[in-house]
Amino acid sequence: MDKLASMLHMTPAIFWMVVKVVIVFAGVMSLAAVWTWVERRGSAMIQDRIGPNRARLFGRWPILGLAQIAADGIKFFFKEDLVPTDANKRLFWLAPFLAFVPALMGFAVIPFGKSFVSGGQTYHLALLDPGNGMGMLYPLAIGGMAVYGVLVAAWSSNNKWSILGGMRASAAMVSYEIGLSLAVISIFMTTGGYDPSEVISAQGHLPWAWNIVRQPLGFIVFFTCMFAETNRLPFDFAEGESEIVAGFNTEYGSMKYSLLALAEYSHLMTASALIATLYFGGWQVPFVKDPTVMLSVASFLLKMLFFAWVFVWIRWTVPRFRYDQLMHLGWKVMLPLSMANLIFHAWRMSQGH
Amino acid sequence: MFITFALITLLGALGMLLQKNVIMAGLCMVATFFGVAGLFVLLANPVAAALQIIVYTGAILVLVLFVIMMLNSHEEEKAQAPRPIQRWVSLALVAALAFGSVKLVLASSGLKALGESGAAVPQAMTLQKVGTALFADHLLGFEVAGFLLLAAMIGAVALTKRNL
Amino acid sequence: MAVIVKKVELTWLDRTYVWPVMKGMGITFQHFLKQLFTPTAKRYTIQYPDMKKEMPAGYRGLHELKRFEDGAIKCVACFMCQEACPARCISIEAEEFSDLNITQGFEEKRPAVFKIDMLRCIYCGMCEEACPKDAIWLRNDYEVAAYDRLSMQFGKWDLMNTYAEADGKDSLGQDPTPSVPRRTIAM
Repeated sequence: MDKLASMLHMTPAIFWMVVKVVIVFAGVMSLAAVWTWVERRGSAMIQDRIGPNRARLFGRWPILGLAQIAADGIKFFFKEDLVPTDANKRLFWLAPFLAFVPALMGFAVIPFGKSFVSGGQTYHLALLDPGNGMGMLYPLAIGGMAVYGVLVAAWSSNNKWSILGGMRASAAMVSYEIGLSLAVISIFMTTGGYDPSEVISAQGHLPWAWNIVRQPLGFIVFFTCMFAETNRLPFDFAEGESEIVAGFNTEYGSMKYSLLALAEYSHLMTASALIATLYFGGWQVPFVKDPTVMLSVASFLLKMLFFAWVFVWIRWTVPRFRYDQLMHLGWKVMLPLSMANLIFHAWRMSQGH
Repeated sequence: MFITFALITLLGALGMLLQKNVIMAGLCMVATFFGVAGLFVLLANPVAAALQIIVYTGAILVLVLFVIMMLNSHEEEKAQAPRPIQRWVSLALVAALAFGSVKLVLASSGLKALGESGAAVPQAMTLQKVGTALFADHLLGFEVAGFLLLAAMIGAVALTKRNL
Repeated sequence: MAVIVKKVELTWLDRTYVWPVMKGMGITFQHFLKQLFTPTAKRYTIQYPDMKKEMPAGYRGLHELKRFEDGAIKCVACFMCQEACPARCISIEAEEFSDLNITQGFEEKRPAVFKIDMLRCIYCGMCEEACPKDAIWLRNDYEVAAYDRLSMQFGKWDLMNTYAEADGKDSLGQDPTPSVPRRTIAM
């Protein structure tokens, strides 16, 4: 590592930072792209279909239809880039980026592996080193920013359906954020810290000490709210073919649409990474006290991908909620549940547990 | 870094004032809040930055934009008749205010102390410290503020819900 | 007549919503696994260009003009199919031919031109019903498409050779010289 850094005339710290940024962003983006394929194949399998399996790499190797991703990408790049006449041009251009950037940024604090020491220097496997003071507040803050992508996309396309979808989605996102934050706060309380590395080390390597066992109620609330935050079914109010066409991205086409779709999947990745970190011990390997770095990274990836798959799985199981049901669930069920969870854990802590 | 964030803040504020489109003005405000959050981070207070983004940009401004879109004021405001006198008076007022504040800051004793001894490296703010400050040092104020907010909430419900 | 809708009483477990969702996820996952471990050939989906559906016995696909064992056309140009066709897509021109050397001057009739406009044909099978000689059949080929309209005009030889490859027969280009009297050949 040091040799490579000195070859590139960089200090190891900066070199490591660059490597991390490349790994995380490339990793999340390619995973998001792969997940479009997983979503399509998975949904097909669930519905007794086959799914995209005909695209071939160089017209020869079918590899389970994975080439479909590349084919889609090429198609999106070469499509005509339409902007509606009455759209607000600047915001119409800005919106996909507003959606995409927060979706990727949220991943920055999540440690995706065990820190290791090499050559007298500690390397942390997270973009922002632990102890940055932002901790888990950062993904919450960035998650809140994701509303703007939807809202701006909806408003700037100057389309009734778009705006309806955008309004519904943003209202849902804002109202579910409260239950989400309260669920996370009770984790901060029991952990005694709000840095993701602290949350992970407090959970330990034994599966029955993880937060999922300690706070099952909090997990249900958090998990449900994550669906609303990522705008996935059963809470995907930004879209809705049966009512409002394609919702906020009705007017979008070509690469701009592709960015919006990628943003959704990057969001999904970040959300599942958050779930794995907060409730399933992050990079901790079950029953292994001191795992190697590679093992911890593999464990984290496995957990993250499992939850990403759960997102897909639920999407093809549960139908979309009605809007008033969603609001009812958000304010009258999720919020009191998370409050009860918070108060219960506060009480337990006061009892000296 | 400071210059970048300050520029973002100032340009956002300026854009907010000069934009005729309400939504654009709101988005400029988002940029301003982001700049302020960046400044908070530079002041070793990441908690304030995070809260700034969560509360202001993530919730309040979304609601503001939400309402604006709901009212759907798509048309940009028509320019009103120019008011030269008001313009000059406001310019003079702003200049006076800016001059006065800068002079006040320069004349303050804290700045002199800073110039003599150099700035102390600030301790990074954490959520724990915020909690201690709120619940130990300023408990009364915190409770009063909470009570006030509760009263406001009940009042809002009572006002909007006609038939209780 | 009023219909009394039975109100479903939900148990508290159903009311939690979490349990029914988990049940549903179980079902979807069963389907997922089942589909995942089913070999491609046994899945519901027929992957069309690679696999083709076996058409049922009565399917009315592309026409074939039948021929005798010696390759001569069975059609006697009686115009019954042309009359029966509701889409009026068949047009026949008859000609006489004699197998002089066998039946001593017995004249027979056969189509010189037998054209079906496949763009007009509605595959109703009326021609098949009307034919007294069982000379036209609608069989199981459903891939009737072409890049231009002219290719959709099927002539006599096209129609006689439509299933030649599938049945392992030779493609014909001209009427063979009859070697036996028509009457002696079993239908």
